[in-house]
Amino acid sequence: MEVEEMLETYYERIGEIPESEKFIQCIQCGTCGGSCPYGMGTLFTPRRMILAVRAGIVKEVLDSGAQWLCTSCFTCSLRCPSQIPITDAIIPALRELSLLEGNPPEELAAALMNIARYGNSFRESPRKRDRWIKEVDFDVPVMAKKKSADVLFITECFGAYHRRCKEITKAFAKVMHLLEVDFAILGNEERCIGDLARLSGEFGLFEDLAEKNIRVFEKYEFNRIVTHDAHAYNALIREYPKFGFEKETLHHTQFLYQNLEKLKEMFGKLDYTVTYHDSCYVGRRNGIYEEPREVIKAIPGVKFVEMKRIRENALCCGGGGGGVWLDSFIKEHIKERPAESRVKEAAATGADVLVTACTLDVPMFEDALKVTGLEGELEVKDISELVLEALES
Amino acid sequence: MKVLVFGEVIDGEVQNITYELVACAKKLGECVTLVTSDADVSSIDGRVIKVNAGEPNPWHYKIVEKVVEKENPDLILFGNTSVSVDIASQLSAKMEMPVATMVYEVEGGDGEVKARSIAYGGKVIVELSMKTPAIAVVNVGSYEAEEGKGSASVEEVSLEELGVSDGVEFVSYIRPSEEDVDISKAEIVVSVGRGIGDEANIEMAEELAELLGGVVAGSRPVIDQGWLPKTRQVGRSGKTVTGKLYLALGISGATEHVEGVKAKNVIAVNTDRTAPIFRISRCGAVADIMELVPVLIDKIREIKG
Amino acid sequence: MKICAILRLVPDLVEELEVEENEVIPFRYMPNERDEHAVEEALILKEKVGDAEVEVIGIADPDNEADLDEGLGMAAAKGADKLYKVILDRPTFKRAEVAKALAEFLKDKNYDVIFTGIQAIDAFAGNLGGMLACYLEMPYIGGVVEVNSEDGKLDVRKELGGGLLAEYKVPLPAVIGVVSAERPLKFVPFTKLRQAMKKAEIEEVELELPEFEGIEVVKYEVPPEPEITLLEGDVEEIADRLIEVLKEISVL
Repeated sequence: MEVEEMLETYYERIGEIPESEKFIQCIQCGTCGGSCPYGMGTLFTPRRMILAVRAGIVKEVLDSGAQWLCTSCFTCSLRCPSQIPITDAIIPALRELSLLEGNPPEELAAALMNIARYGNSFRESPRKRDRWIKEVDFDVPVMAKKKSADVLFITECFGAYHRRCKEITKAFAKVMHLLEVDFAILGNEERCIGDLARLSGEFGLFEDLAEKNIRVFEKYEFNRIVTHDAHAYNALIREYPKFGFEKETLHHTQFLYQNLEKLKEMFGKLDYTVTYHDSCYVGRRNGIYEEPREVIKAIPGVKFVEMKRIRENALCCGGGGGGVWLDSFIKEHIKERPAESRVKEAAATGADVLVTACTLDVPMFEDALKVTGLEGELEVKDISELVLEALES
Repeated sequence: MKVLVFGEVIDGEVQNITYELVACAKKLGECVTLVTSDADVSSIDGRVIKVNAGEPNPWHYKIVEKVVEKENPDLILFGNTSVSVDIASQLSAKMEMPVATMVYEVEGGDGEVKARSIAYGGKVIVELSMKTPAIAVVNVGSYEAEEGKGSASVEEVSLEELGVSDGVEFVSYIRPSEEDVDISKAEIVVSVGRGIGDEANIEMAEELAELLGGVVAGSRPVIDQGWLPKTRQVGRSGKTVTGKLYLALGISGATEHVEGVKAKNVIAVNTDRTAPIFRISRCGAVADIMELVPVLIDKIREIKG
Repeated sequence: MKICAILRLVPDLVEELEVEENEVIPFRYMPNERDEHAVEEALILKEKVGDAEVEVIGIADPDNEADLDEGLGMAAAKGADKLYKVILDRPTFKRAEVAKALAEFLKDKNYDVIFTGIQAIDAFAGNLGGMLACYLEMPYIGGVVEVNSEDGKLDVRKELGGGLLAEYKVPLPAVIGVVSAERPLKFVPFTKLRQAMKKAEIEEVELELPEFEGIEVVKYEVPPEPEITLLEGDVEEIADRLIEVLKEISVL
């Protein structure tokens, strides 16, 4: 593609995303780059990207790969004094140009192709998406048979296929079972919700996924969707309505909070010192800070400590925005992964358990424990796993 | 049954597959081996017809054709290798002979040949029956090379006598840089496949290899990604490992890869219990290498003190 | 220069295969990976030569021809100039039948170079490239990883195994068997692919297959489960057991 065509495509794309015209107001303050987990490893911080594009310099930005050094953590967008939608527009639209050129980092390219072909990034058969229900000792109803339920539980790809994330799915399903919630899953009919595709610049794929998923939702009756995947939650409340989706969606931390009185009656005692990681798309992006804290503090015996960087200042695990599929690429540019810095921070509070709220957090932090040698000193659990442990103790 | 073996020669050396094919042929009946490049063929058991037509070249199928016309074999054996497949496929079309490929077992009968092939990425075994004369393209490692060695009685035939040639021209060999480790000579090989996830995790494999006194290798996908140099590739288009231990981490065991695995002991780790690699393993673990290997490394460290 | 690349369908192994004694029934088909490399290499040669056209010939049978649309769309999105969908009149495992019929079709198309992938997971009765070349009376070379055009000939690099390569000069017209393209397969974004699929003008051709005798499938079967016991469960225990094995074989 020639530079003019790239710029035309770029402006057309960001024009479709709300508030993106604000990039004209960029005052080049550099808050974005200063807040970015990869700020020190990239040749083009968001500030420089905006400057470059304004000057018509696109190829150099793309060649540097800077557009892939982003974990969509939203810190820059939140702090930007001009409120430029960097995370949702500036960077994904640049990524789209790389995709059109045909040369994104290979691991991510494979993941995107797998999502398009198999509905999940793991290159697994879509028909195996609900295999996890065979691994639990209670019945998990599937909508194809049940047709209606109070809650539709969306597991998303990692929650369905990833060896570690499946445990979180099973734990939360069990909590709902113990709470006697009337829930069901889509099983094989669920496709990737797609926030990963959207943030990677695959807008077309995202649209296709949303449309297909919404058509499946419309087949069944349910009052609300609950999910433990923060990115799925985000896509469902912010993006899917643009395609006509209108149901209530809750993140599982909100759901647990709503059921807290019931849970309190069922909690046993746990002897942990716990710290909580404000996952980017639960906290910073979508404002859920108190609910998870209340749930954790309600467990008898748990001592709660805060890390230094909390709430809207929490440090991303590095898994979002395609991060889970970009590790090789990112490792070439930075010395310490954000997840490694984060687990060290958690360990420094004296906590035994680092509790998280997004499915991606757990494998990212557990890998970081191995690299930093903190394995054995700190455990990582999703909030639903902590809750389940309290219910079963 | 009379069997003609196409003996593969590369860079002046008779390749191991040749002996394997001779071993197979001997089980079936009378064996004649045809070699189309200059090499020391004295260890090939039985009759050897040697035609010096230069370096390996796809057009040599025309030489095979002439020899087939003269010798009238019931079965022609080729190795499933880059050099031989070119020739086998052209020959089968030219002489209108049935051909079975990806074969691991050949049986002779009356006017027929039975071949068993492993297809669909190792998931299906196909039993084929062919009317002779027929061609079978046999996977490397299906037969014992030692059984094909012996003493050769060589007949040299000149190229002019046969009167064939073609336009594909051999220019030169391009050898890999000699500086890197030769994994085919290593006793202990720790090999990684797609399951390693990403380049950063290769460090972990290197650590394990170092502790065990071995070297790191990889399957094709890992080399294609550029995470390991080509010289570390194990498989049909890479090297063959023959040492004491091949530790396969996150490798599924596709036929093309397994062809390069001739180590005395294979230990495999894979999250997929149906992975074909387990079929050739002495011991297998269904586990996530990212979980298992660090634990293994720690334990080995403790043992070594 | 007139270049063509052949794109076949193979069963998608991500899904399970149903294996019966006389039939293997895939859940779905996908483009043969080696042929995708052949298409890529054809497009790379076009870039190198400049004045060239690439035509992609997809091959399917009545059962699976719809699965070819995506592969052909992908080729179009990457720059192929013309697309064919050759529908064989029946499924067959005999490559020779396909090669003979295809040769008839390609005979008068005057291609200078025909690219095909050297292998497919269901190619247990022949390899297409060499057979095709023979029926077309063209030279053939497989295992190719790099192609350059020089003085009306092709200069190719062929993998010989063990990291060794060799350089050959091939006169045209010729059939080239590609094992892997010079660069990783280009990524095509979803929308671009869908648009290409929609706009694609695919010339459909029906091809009657000759019947070749002399080879039959006696049966298909699933390989027996391995006899070795698989270690599973707790990682610590597995590691301990592996160490025992390492000691048994004198590695530790």
